[in-house]
Amino acid sequence: MNIVACVKQVPDTEALIKVKADGSGIEEGGIKWVMNPYDEYGVEEALKLKEKNGGEVTIVSMGPARAMETIRTALAMGAEKGIHITIDKADEYNTAAALAAAIKGINPDIIFCGQRAIDDDSGQVGSILAELLGLPVVTLVTKLEIADGKAKAVKPIEGAQLLIESQMPCVITAQKGLNEPRYASLPGIMKAKKKPVDVKDAAALGITVQPKAKIVKMTPPPERAPGKIIGGDDPAAKAAELAKLLREEAKVI
Amino acid sequence: MGEKFISERNLRFLLYEVFDAVSLTRYPYYADHSREMFDMVLETAMRIGKDMLYPTLGEMDKNPPELAGDHVKVHPVVRTFMRECGEGGWISAIAPMERGGQQLPSIVNFVPNGIFAAANYSASVYLLLTSEASHLIESFGSDELKETFIPRMFSGEWQGTMALTEPQAGSSLADIATVAEPTDEGYYRMRGQKIFISGSDHDGVDNVVNLMLARIKGAPAGVRGISLFVVPKKRVGENGELVFNDINVTGLYHKLGYRGCPINQLSMGEADDCRGYLVGEPHKGLAYMFQMMNAARLAIGLGAAAIASAAYYASLEYSQVRLQGRRMTEKDPATPQIPIIEHADVKRMLLFQRSVVEGSLSLIAQCYQYSDLAIVSEGDEKERYSLLLDLLTPVAKSYPSEMSILSVSQGLQILGGYGYCDEFPLEQYYRDTRIHPIHEGTTGIHGTTLLGRNVTMKDGRALQLFLEEVQKTIGAAEALDELKPSAQKLRDALEKLQGVTAHLLDIAKEGNREVFLADATLYLELFGIITIAWQWLLQAVPVQKALRNTDGLSETDVAFYHGKMYTFRYFFGYELPKADGLIRRLMETDGLTVEMKAAYFSD
Repeated sequence: MNIVACVKQVPDTEALIKVKADGSGIEEGGIKWVMNPYDEYGVEEALKLKEKNGGEVTIVSMGPARAMETIRTALAMGAEKGIHITIDKADEYNTAAALAAAIKGINPDIIFCGQRAIDDDSGQVGSILAELLGLPVVTLVTKLEIADGKAKAVKPIEGAQLLIESQMPCVITAQKGLNEPRYASLPGIMKAKKKPVDVKDAAALGITVQPKAKIVKMTPPPERAPGKIIGGDDPAAKAAELAKLLREEAKVI
Repeated sequence: MGEKFISERNLRFLLYEVFDAVSLTRYPYYADHSREMFDMVLETAMRIGKDMLYPTLGEMDKNPPELAGDHVKVHPVVRTFMRECGEGGWISAIAPMERGGQQLPSIVNFVPNGIFAAANYSASVYLLLTSEASHLIESFGSDELKETFIPRMFSGEWQGTMALTEPQAGSSLADIATVAEPTDEGYYRMRGQKIFISGSDHDGVDNVVNLMLARIKGAPAGVRGISLFVVPKKRVGENGELVFNDINVTGLYHKLGYRGCPINQLSMGEADDCRGYLVGEPHKGLAYMFQMMNAARLAIGLGAAAIASAAYYASLEYSQVRLQGRRMTEKDPATPQIPIIEHADVKRMLLFQRSVVEGSLSLIAQCYQYSDLAIVSEGDEKERYSLLLDLLTPVAKSYPSEMSILSVSQGLQILGGYGYCDEFPLEQYYRDTRIHPIHEGTTGIHGTTLLGRNVTMKDGRALQLFLEEVQKTIGAAEALDELKPSAQKLRDALEKLQGVTAHLLDIAKEGNREVFLADATLYLELFGIITIAWQWLLQAVPVQKALRNTDGLSETDVAFYHGKMYTFRYFFGYELPKADGLIRRLMETDGLTVEMKAAYFSD
């Protein structure tokens, strides 16, 4: 099988994020970068498919020079090769367009994306990529089976699960629960640096980045207001006071 | 809670800024490695530490191993972790590639080992023992032993152990009594008892491979009659099947801490069917075992520093959120309370911990660097690094072990009453780290080794090399104005150390060996303080250089370097002066403890 897994490098979930003074983005100095956790599920599923059916896994990532680290991590997990698109940043459409341009020549049987990236949280790239490639997409997949040239994917919805059968090739966006991503191994790490990674810029892919959306301003969430302790000795009165505050101040009941 | 247990930033600092681990890749033996790989090793180990090991830290303490019929039951994460260590190549990390290893430099392998030990010390021991035991077979075993045991140990299916201690032979290995009787079949029939054997039976693996010291029947008394054997729990039968090898677990000790790893009492040959396979030549067992013991000693130092690291970060985090009191200058009781980290005395306790943790880690990294350089160099140079490693091993084991207890204690103190209760991990760290001055040679044994053997070995050449290394660092520090006063302090301390050493060796020459060694433990303590001061000065050099121009540095980096400088200054201001008291005592040498009669301890 010819499998593609798209990965994005994002700030570590534990990194302390500071918004730039001008609100144009986040301060990147001193941040630790990791593979987007939802993309890890995609990489793991890709590797499992390969191990079962043979073939190879190509990792595709768009981002600045440091994104290469994330590609190498996926190669250390067991993928065969990578494509690094050296466009620092773009909106969702242009990101998908760049990925589409890089993937087109590969003719994959299946493409994995994370259901969303934990930095921008927009959850659009997988679907736009499918659209641009003219492929079906199943989003938020927690279980996948490939049989008889079809992909059978399970996707949880409110109170139920959908079993969706899709023709192949298709795009799958991975949700938590799909699998347990493996750790890179030492032999994998040693092999990773010898695996080929194609580095391509926008020109090499024959695209121009023309933003369709832009971030106008980024602001940190408001600071949490201090809590309130209800005083008094009478539990009934305290409960009544709590109910009143929940209704009138917090407006949650 | 953020649950930080070790600083990745500090590990990178040691690897790249202090010890330049990447420079090892210039040697053909390490040429396949690169910084990119070292980074990935660090990141992967951090994930395993965070996701797999740290979450079971408390559970493994509260549900210690238990004897279930004929075997010991351990926490299920042990199997998961050992499998991961096998598949991930962590057990075979430093072994040569031709043996299926990754040929990773020890100074890089220090990173995963430190991370795992900080995340969950008990769990990390299963890996370390297996790695070191397989290394011992690889160094001295026959091809048959290598082929039979190493692959299954590397894969994490079989556990390795070191089986030395017996009821009557703990620190005194010369008194080992386990007997190996030769047979015509090539193997030996083993009979005897072993106690305190870590990991020697558990259900987290399919078999256990004990590296056991014993006496071949009729061997001379003392250490010259000790041989090394591979004695598996299950031996490999004629058709490759595993056959019970007549080793019974006769007891499981209940420990103060480090409870996630069983230490057992073993009985060999109750049915006269326990087979042992000789490693190397007869009667050379102790010399072979020293390879594993020395590696284990550095790992113990690292384990002690790692637990102290976890305790430091737990107490640091608490001090940042716990509100108590006001500034000394604030007279208005209506003002809000401040986080306790704002109090000078709390900062002192944090600085103490950081100085112990990062000073110890630096010394251990230094030892691993010598070990790597000894592998890739030849002749005089090789001997130089081997001697330095040999000299410093007791220090790198004992300073972190003893100081970790005090360091964790200060972390516990920061949490006050909460530190004493089990809702926070401090009390566990305090119990866990108490083992370190005991196992792998007590501090007393290491004091005697350092003073009674190491400082005079090769006519004092090892000590001379050490003095040169410290002088080199002093020289580099003197080139930086900010470090000159500290460089001078270390120079003075080093001279005094030489004075004390000469004084003690004179006593030895006079023939009074008992008085000479009576305070060897204090000598080791003194040596430790000065060695760690050296390591702090060594770290201060790149820190000071980085602080000269902070333009390109991130805020977090600048804070890191300033923190380093204060911790360095703390060590020279608060810890190094403690050497003076020790020097005074050591120069007195009145033989007080030798003269004191056992009978006077009547009350």
